[in-house]
Amino acid sequence: MKRRPFDTRYLLSLAISVLAALILGALILLLAGFSPLKAYGAIIEGAFGNKRHIGDLLEYAMVLCLCGLACVLGAKVGIFNVGGEGQLILGAIFACQVGVWMKEQPGWLVLLCAALTAMAIGGLYAFIPGILKVKVKVNEVITTIMLNTVALSLCQYLAKGPWKNPNKNMVAATGQPSPEHWLTGLIPGSKLSTAIFTAAALTFLIWYILSKTSVGYEMKLTGQNPRFAFFSGIKTDRIILLSMILSGALCGLVGMFRVYGGEHIYKSSISNDYYFEGLMLAMIAAYQPLPVVGLSLFFAVLKIGADELQYIGIPSQIYQIIQTVVIFAMAAQNSILSMLQDRRKEKTAVKAPSRKGGGDVE
Amino acid sequence: MNDLLSRIFSPATLNETLRTATPVALAAIGGAMTEHAGIMNIGMDGMILMGAFFGAYGSFLMGSGWLGLLLAVAIGILVGLLFALFVVKLKADEFIIGCALNTFAIGLTGFLSDSVFGHKGGKGMAALPKIYIDLPNVLSFLGKGLQGLSILFYLTLLLVLALWLFVYRTPYGFYLRAAGEKPDTLRTAGIRPERMKWIASILCGITCAVAGVYLSLGDLEGNFAKNMSNSRGYVAFACVIFASANPAKAYLAALMFGFFGALGTCLQSYISPDLTAAIPYVITILMMVYVVVRSQNKKKSLRLRKEKAL
Repeated sequence: MKRRPFDTRYLLSLAISVLAALILGALILLLAGFSPLKAYGAIIEGAFGNKRHIGDLLEYAMVLCLCGLACVLGAKVGIFNVGGEGQLILGAIFACQVGVWMKEQPGWLVLLCAALTAMAIGGLYAFIPGILKVKVKVNEVITTIMLNTVALSLCQYLAKGPWKNPNKNMVAATGQPSPEHWLTGLIPGSKLSTAIFTAAALTFLIWYILSKTSVGYEMKLTGQNPRFAFFSGIKTDRIILLSMILSGALCGLVGMFRVYGGEHIYKSSISNDYYFEGLMLAMIAAYQPLPVVGLSLFFAVLKIGADELQYIGIPSQIYQIIQTVVIFAMAAQNSILSMLQDRRKEKTAVKAPSRKGGGDVE
Repeated sequence: MNDLLSRIFSPATLNETLRTATPVALAAIGGAMTEHAGIMNIGMDGMILMGAFFGAYGSFLMGSGWLGLLLAVAIGILVGLLFALFVVKLKADEFIIGCALNTFAIGLTGFLSDSVFGHKGGKGMAALPKIYIDLPNVLSFLGKGLQGLSILFYLTLLLVLALWLFVYRTPYGFYLRAAGEKPDTLRTAGIRPERMKWIASILCGITCAVAGVYLSLGDLEGNFAKNMSNSRGYVAFACVIFASANPAKAYLAALMFGFFGALGTCLQSYISPDLTAAIPYVITILMMVYVVVRSQNKKKSLRLRKEKAL
């Protein structure tokens, strides 16, 4: 995986990818007999036309951004945390249950305990693949994928069994934390809550640590050349394990935000593969915190805006198509660019001798 | 207790195991090909979903399950080509492409299903035949277990055999394994590892498409529901890892996953099926740790022996 600095070439290929995706989306819409202009108009309208939607959009962007950053934390040191989905939902269900247990306690204590529990659970769940990677050298991508499914089964079991909502009509949902303990909503009716301030602070902190401190430098070194890092005295194993745990803790915290800020209950809509979206976004952001923020806003606009499409009879899944085409294009951008460069070189290489050789021809 | 045992070891359990294992096994044998070629294929879920939709769509258009299968396989080849284009030709990260392929398939099939069938999903397409056989009384257990399985179940057995022979008994299979393990050696021998990777992706696209068709036209009576692959691609991936990419073992691994699913249904009143469903994944992780530790020990003892010899 190449990590290039965030430069104009990167921005240019991103812009081209987005444009290509929008054109392809328009073509598919046309083929299916819908008007692309109307559809894109509706997406913009859906995303910004209404205060509530802007709130939902910011909340969704926050979730994606934090998930993306969790992936960045791992990727910087060369460990790929794919298990964020599992860490997120486990964090969410445990945080939610803490709220149910502590109904009588003061709000700040409940929130603190919930956040700490969520982070501890997420971190612990990331510790398993982390230690397996460091000590036994088992591929972390595969173990985290397996652990995702295990976490999902476990949460299903908890939400249907021991921690089931007393209301029988709710299938697979846990009890609710008391409304006094919810994070304060910022826009009435939307899922946006004060969690976004914490998220912004965390984003800044992660950016600062990664790019301005010696720890960040050691992390980068470990990721780029673990042997060199090891022989220059960096405790690579410890740094890898620690990054993995932090990544898991961050995912757990996102789960807590989803429960206390957005859904106010644990149910399956807590996360619909949000971490995978965050992960893809982190990858096309070349694991740089700043583009992660920008891209998560863009993806959130697409997703929230696309909900509006249903009302004018266009299937909203078009947003997933557009989104993945951007990802496909960005994932391949390095080799597409170098192929274009090679071709240009070839052309000049072919031209050059012919110009020179012109005089030699008899 | 006896009652429980007889319920677990009943033809019904066998039947459910075989029914649920078939699509997973189909995808897993395809995944075994890409795994041998050195590609970590996470995108099987998307490939299955595409197969399921285009199988149903083909049957809807042309009124025959077999033509649906044909269309799905054609699309499967295209998806395999697309996957290979990005992973092999454009050298994009295989993991990201796999993830993106899954989301793309959910988006595309959802979009098309809504446009073609409407919000409720497609129903009542011509399905593929199911096989009912009469076995002599002595084999009544097996006979009952095999009753009403889709014809694709038998096709799967053939495919497993064919791919096993391909991988371990033909020169191309040898090149395929070399493409993953020692690509440079293969290149020195005059065969391009990229070509084997393209072939593996296409094979995987085909078997995954058949797996999808099994879901929409084989097991069900010609239905398409959104997102009906339901993470089976990840289960198949687990099988591939469990079987260290051997198609025959991958089939057995799929049977194991299917059996634990069926076991969950039997033990429902004692233990939550959600918990039994998680068991095979835990076993897979333990298996991986065991495989890695064993190979490390082997290397260590080999080194020790070499040192002794010197």
